[in-house]
Amino acid sequence: MSLKGKLALVTGSGRGIGRAIALKLASQGADIIVDYFRHRESAEQTAKDIEALGVKAEVVRANVGDAAKIDELFDMIGNKFGHLDILINNAASGVGRPLADIDVKAWEWTMDINARALLLCAQRAAKLMEGRGGKIVSMSSLGSRFVLPNYTVVGVSKAALEALTRYLAIELAPRGICVNAVAASAVETEALKFYFKEGLAKDSRQATPAGRMVTPEDVANVVAFLCSEEAFMIRGQIIVIDGGTSIGLLAFAGKGE
Amino acid sequence: MNIEEQVRDILARITRVDKNIITREATFKEIKADSLDVVQALVAVEETFGIEIPDEEAQKFQNFGDFVCYVENRVAQKERA
Repeated sequence: MSLKGKLALVTGSGRGIGRAIALKLASQGADIIVDYFRHRESAEQTAKDIEALGVKAEVVRANVGDAAKIDELFDMIGNKFGHLDILINNAASGVGRPLADIDVKAWEWTMDINARALLLCAQRAAKLMEGRGGKIVSMSSLGSRFVLPNYTVVGVSKAALEALTRYLAIELAPRGICVNAVAASAVETEALKFYFKEGLAKDSRQATPAGRMVTPEDVANVVAFLCSEEAFMIRGQIIVIDGGTSIGLLAFAGKGE
Repeated sequence: MNIEEQVRDILARITRVDKNIITREATFKEIKADSLDVVQALVAVEETFGIEIPDEEAQKFQNFGDFVCYVENRVAQKERA
């Protein structure tokens, strides 16, 4: 699978899953636009690592929860490059609270970054993919379909993202744009440690039939496949990457006790 | 309006607390600012002053005074550059 000569925007690619995806696409020859929001140094490190692979990297700061910043981001891409081949809608945020404590601010913050950003980025990306086709891949989560502790608003935002993925896939299909998403179980990243502490990681390892937690590289491998021509006929799908966790829930319930 | 007053206004708008509560000694907890409030305040301050405040630095702020000092220093650095 070669992405030589392609241009990919990976939102939230300074760290974690986004960084792994950016490096994977770069390793296959794509030039990468590294978008970040809060961690400039990490983003600059990702860009250096991308360039070490022999392709180009462009670092840009944009909070995808802010519609005006998305416009600025795509204005820059349009002016500087004039096109885009791949959009990886990875940036995410969330407020981990019990249902009773979710206020309008927490709801809007999470929904704007996790769900609305896909709509706004896809609208602008599709214009830059006009006449050349493209790939759009988003990060969902098992929390879109299963109930996780204190995950309500994130889970709902990911459910919206999945529905939007299906609608975009159909509407953009005639323009040669493939739209899909991946839904991973708990992935070993800094964000996981920040939001859930060590307990979830331990539980996830014990509940995974494949015997280990999902890594950012596991996710990046699937995303890279979805960005390849070999995946051309996969449209509007949510590919689960969980080592069998979601289908083995009952079989593995209580394992490790 | 000086930097301290502008930062105080931003924080008061986001947390919806009385500005008088936001003294230089007040902690984010005393201001009733949760983690989302803090991130939103950081973003608003960054945009107002055209600076960046890395999360690693923000985590060191013990109180509102630390936050203001950091912003004042970054703004001064920017003006010198």
